[in-house]
Amino acid sequence: MSAYGAAVVVDRAPGSRDVAPVDPGDLAIVQRVLAPLEETPRFWLVLFAICALGTALGLFAVGYTLWLGIGAWGNNIPVAWAFDIVNFVWWIGIGHAGTFISAFLLLLNQPWRAAFNRMAEAMTLFAVAIAGAFPLLHLGRPWFFYWLMPYPATMGVWPNFKSALPWDAAAVGTYFLVSVMFFYLGLIPDLATSRDRLTGRTRRRVYGVFALGWSGTSSQWRRHRAALKIIAGIAAALVVSVHSIVSFDFAIAQLSGWHSTILPPYFVLGAIYSGFAMVLALAIPVRGWYGMQTIITIDHLERLAKLLLTVCLLLTYCYTAEFSTAAYSNDPLEHATYFAHWPAGPFGWLFWTMLVLNVVVPQVLWFRRYRRNLNVLAGVAIGVLVGMWLERFIIIVSSLAQGALPSTWHGFVPTWVDWGILVGSLSFFGLCFLLFLRFVPAASMGELRRHRIEKIYDGWP
Amino acid sequence: MSVTREEMVQRLGGSRRSFMKLLGASLALAGVEGCTRMPASNILPYVNQPELTPGLPQFYATSMVLDGYATGLLVESHEGRPTKVEGNPDHPASLGAAGVFEQASVLQLYDPHRARRVRRGNQTSSWSELAAALRQEALRQQAGSTGAGLFLLLEPTSSPLESELIDRLLELYPAAHVHFYAPLATSGALVPLYDFREADVALAVDSDFLASGPFHLRYAREFAERRRPEAGAMNRFYAIESSVSVTGNAADHRLALAPSAIVPALEQLLAALQDRESTKWIGALAKDLRAHARRSVVVASPYLPERAQALALQINQALGNVGRTVWFTRSPLVGAGDARHSLASLVDALRAGEVRTLVCAGGNPGYATAASLGIGPLIKRVPQSVYVGLYENETARDCGWMVPAAHFLESWGDARAYDGTLSVVQPLVEPIFGARTVVELLSLLIGEPDVHPYDRLRDAWRTRGALAGGAGFDEGWKEVLRRGVLDGSAFPREQAAPEFASEERPAAGSGALDIVFRPHPRVHDGAFANNGWLQELPDPITTLTWDNAAEISPADAQRLDIDDGDLVELRAGQRSLRMPALVVRGHADAAVTVHFGYGRDGEEAVARGVGANVYALWPGDRFSISGARLSRVPGARRDLALTQFHRTLEVSTPVRALTLEQFQNLQPERRPKTLTLYQPTAPLPDGTAPHQWAMTIDLGACIGCGACMVACQAENNVPVVGREEVLRGREMHWLRIDWYAIGPPEGGHYRNSVVSKGASVVSGFSRTEPMAMAQPMLCQHCEKAPCEYACPVEATVHSSDGLNEMIYNRCVGTRFCSNNCPYKVRRFNWIDYNAGLSETEQLARNPDVTVRERGVMEKCTFCVQRIRQTEIAARVEHRSFAGSEVRTACQQACPTQAIAFGSLDDAQSPMVAARTTKRAYAVLDDLGTEPRVRYLARVRNANPDLEPSA
Repeated sequence: MSAYGAAVVVDRAPGSRDVAPVDPGDLAIVQRVLAPLEETPRFWLVLFAICALGTALGLFAVGYTLWLGIGAWGNNIPVAWAFDIVNFVWWIGIGHAGTFISAFLLLLNQPWRAAFNRMAEAMTLFAVAIAGAFPLLHLGRPWFFYWLMPYPATMGVWPNFKSALPWDAAAVGTYFLVSVMFFYLGLIPDLATSRDRLTGRTRRRVYGVFALGWSGTSSQWRRHRAALKIIAGIAAALVVSVHSIVSFDFAIAQLSGWHSTILPPYFVLGAIYSGFAMVLALAIPVRGWYGMQTIITIDHLERLAKLLLTVCLLLTYCYTAEFSTAAYSNDPLEHATYFAHWPAGPFGWLFWTMLVLNVVVPQVLWFRRYRRNLNVLAGVAIGVLVGMWLERFIIIVSSLAQGALPSTWHGFVPTWVDWGILVGSLSFFGLCFLLFLRFVPAASMGELRRHRIEKIYDGWP
Repeated sequence: MSVTREEMVQRLGGSRRSFMKLLGASLALAGVEGCTRMPASNILPYVNQPELTPGLPQFYATSMVLDGYATGLLVESHEGRPTKVEGNPDHPASLGAAGVFEQASVLQLYDPHRARRVRRGNQTSSWSELAAALRQEALRQQAGSTGAGLFLLLEPTSSPLESELIDRLLELYPAAHVHFYAPLATSGALVPLYDFREADVALAVDSDFLASGPFHLRYAREFAERRRPEAGAMNRFYAIESSVSVTGNAADHRLALAPSAIVPALEQLLAALQDRESTKWIGALAKDLRAHARRSVVVASPYLPERAQALALQINQALGNVGRTVWFTRSPLVGAGDARHSLASLVDALRAGEVRTLVCAGGNPGYATAASLGIGPLIKRVPQSVYVGLYENETARDCGWMVPAAHFLESWGDARAYDGTLSVVQPLVEPIFGARTVVELLSLLIGEPDVHPYDRLRDAWRTRGALAGGAGFDEGWKEVLRRGVLDGSAFPREQAAPEFASEERPAAGSGALDIVFRPHPRVHDGAFANNGWLQELPDPITTLTWDNAAEISPADAQRLDIDDGDLVELRAGQRSLRMPALVVRGHADAAVTVHFGYGRDGEEAVARGVGANVYALWPGDRFSISGARLSRVPGARRDLALTQFHRTLEVSTPVRALTLEQFQNLQPERRPKTLTLYQPTAPLPDGTAPHQWAMTIDLGACIGCGACMVACQAENNVPVVGREEVLRGREMHWLRIDWYAIGPPEGGHYRNSVVSKGASVVSGFSRTEPMAMAQPMLCQHCEKAPCEYACPVEATVHSSDGLNEMIYNRCVGTRFCSNNCPYKVRRFNWIDYNAGLSETEQLARNPDVTVRERGVMEKCTFCVQRIRQTEIAARVEHRSFAGSEVRTACQQACPTQAIAFGSLDDAQSPMVAARTTKRAYAVLDDLGTEPRVRYLARVRNANPDLEPSA
């Protein structure tokens, strides 16, 4: 620790308070992480243009929805929720990995998390923000969204606290705020480094403002560590609670396919699963493009792959439990939902695709060879992302489409607006992530340096 | 009313004329033609009230005429604009019920596509110009001094007033010709009447007497009286039919036969009555009929060939039923049974070029005639032709003059019911588009264009002498206007029986298929094709909306490799037609059913281009043809806007049925004690509200005709969404009719394996005959409603009197309530379905019910506006009221009285009595929702010879 606070200044500019290292290893980390902040590579421009186009499409689709109404989508009665809530649950799930990696692994003192945590936290932020837009957008009258919040209305009406949706609004809102705090708090020392290391007056000034006067004193570091741990504690609890509450949107309903007590842990695991997959899917190309192989090492990726496999097995257990509970219920409707409508209904092929992508394909991660093969790893991760989207689709749409009264059964066909909004949300996510890569240090320099030193001095793994 | 108006004139300090001008100007300014234009003549409310209270609706008696026969109605009027049609309990054809056409007629009144101007060629003209063109001198010059070149083509009419005017016209022009035509009108001089209350065994031969025909509302009521096992002995009902009908689905035993097999089946039945050999089914039927001689009835469809009708009569005669369960009266139609009035003789004259002046009033002969007649070009050749019609339709296109016809809610007149009972047609509004009635047209032709139809009607009734003369007349006349009906005016029974010709029926081609032509259950012969309510009302058999289809049996579909929506080509002789196919479980093999009324190409924007015109194949003189062919058009499809795709009973048993034997041995259901962690709620009524509202629906009585659906739509301002939205699964009906496949599993879409869920479910479904069972499904007003706890903003809550309320203002549209509703009765305004509604259509809206905006959920309210109105009225009068005082729209319309509504604390009421019988059950009761709507299982009176008890 002490080696940290009192940095010896070697290459600092006159008047700057650079806390940058003397040690060449440290310097390499800083240079590597800060390099992307100073240049705009061609691939970045191309990707940015693609994402901007997709975002424009999404915005157009959103505008059309607001103008016409939810009728722009393929939703119907009985399938009153479809892409809107599928996307919501999927994005909120992705938004879980960042906090999980940061908070849980921080609390568990897993130093290797430092390679990804910044990226994962940024991903969380964007994903949660996008996720949060869906429940608002899917309202019939979105301009009254604030009625879901408990506020002292003049009419004396409150939200219905028995409904899971106000819990949802509160949980997602809280989670977003905590995620922002967690992200920003962790970012402050690196913003200071950026302020001190980057060239250009505007840039230094902007980073300077956001660095909040960080000077790297040991008391600042001490308080920073403590604050980070406190927020990590809160965030870790939220990781579990938020997606449990999201699952209540379904679990408290009486609909066969939704009405299941296993849903909270199942949803939390599913969220972490898709989140890890998204981290892998982002980290693999980013490390290649920015030459960050020394920071995000193949060992790190392998650890992530092992975690992915673990969650895969846990989730597989949940699937099994869900289906055997249904089988055990002796309820014809439950039987029909799980053994006829899901696997053999109109969306049966999606169900089987989902099982293959979520359960079968990730089994290759048992083998070290594949865990260390970037192509395989990326393929598995993208497969899991698709699979998890399909899982939510099956749960939501397939259950709704074939309810208790066969007379009401009706399929679901998405419209171009549904696709437009999905593509738009992906593009907007990409857009945000590209901006993040361009303007924010993508890995936690402070932590990387600390772990490096700890490794040297304390013999940490 | 006129008093009020006169008073207003006084107050305005002007003459009557200036008042009308002022009224006209203000209307023009408001951009609303005809808003609150109450007829100046003295119309009298059904329930006398001393004065008009703004905000309180008035009811007036009138009659709607279809194919010549009247159905008595009471029409609700809000400040001078009719909004809702109910049946007139005093009228024999209604008995208080109103069918789909009557219910939907109010929308037709406000149809913005109605013709609005008198037109000559392409020029706007006027009534007085027409009067000038048809004045005596001109007409005699045009059509000869005796009127030999003057031809009238009218819709069949039973109106004594019109009959008298026609007589006067013939006095003036003795050689003039009068023809009557409607494609579905009957033409016999004697008509059969039935009494189903007296029939222990009934057989319907291709007859849809429960849901179509002039007396179907009455027959449905009487039939249902014999379908309630608690109320007395049940009848046993058999049906033999080609296409599946509402009536066929109500049968205890149903036999599907192709049209060409029906006559042999009846011959066999007649023979079997005389102990000759027959098939098992016919033999069992014959045995049953014979055991109930003089207390049975055979009903043959008027669309059957005369040979079949003659056989049905012979069977009735052989059983001694004539004079008991079936009798005959003179047809109330003017000129019935007289071939001189037929369309065929007019066509002959048209072809011969004898027609100098053709006056065509009502109907749509340019469309609704056999295409082989080619009547359109023939009319076009007539030197002078006048059409009086509601729309600028196919006929109007071919006529020189077009005069907008008045809707019956704008008309003065009289008409007879099927049994001859006289009723009045009185207007609720002045003609919205300045339209004219047939009475006015006939007046014009006899040279009296300016006599007001009201005066003419009144004078005619005075002269006719059916009412007391002199000073007493006014009293009697007022009473007739008030009640709408003249009691005791039905025709007497005739001793004679009708005679049937035996005709040869050549096959239309060499194919092996029969084609059955039927009126469409929703748009009839095409007259209602521009009515959005009816277009969107699902077909009672197939749930098809906004289309007609060629209906074929599952076996034929499999043989020809045809699926729902595949385009097929029907070929009969030289003529062919392409339309989508629809597989109908229970349809006869080797036959295909097509419905009239579609494929319109007039100026009616709603009807235009929807469906296929089957008049193209129709021979015109019979309703089935043989020798046709059907082939699939490869690769061509049309998406069919069905509202229901699955009829299986695999996952739940929402409909239940018992055989009579099962019913008699049934122990009262013991509901298992619910295990719960929660405090049990107090049993209701718990004294928190004066009434606890509830509904009981008898599936034994319900025939699934759909009258309740239109009634609900009219009462509750339910929007029409159009074909595209129905295809997306977004129809808005608060009340729908679900159909479930019962009977043996069969090909096509409908699988069926009844799952036994506990001992309380007993199945009396037929095990051999594929049929369908209807279930009206609406908000169940669950005491433990899943929707209520799901709503995040408390927009759906429970009232103290047991209603599940929907607060549109508070709804943000999460749709969680719908997802959590196991009955899926909630409807969402996906887009603004009321945008672009014409100003006239807005007038059809019920002012007591909110019109919902985009993005909010809606559903059945148990007609809460009616409940609150009754409450308020009772409070004003300082009295309490019985729950049975409130009647929901669906209940009021129901011809079979299958729907009972009321309060749970009213222990004596029929509604409570019904829900405490052994056959009462709640749909999806195992979910613990405690619905306030209870259903009564259908009891099926199966013939033990056909279906030995298990």
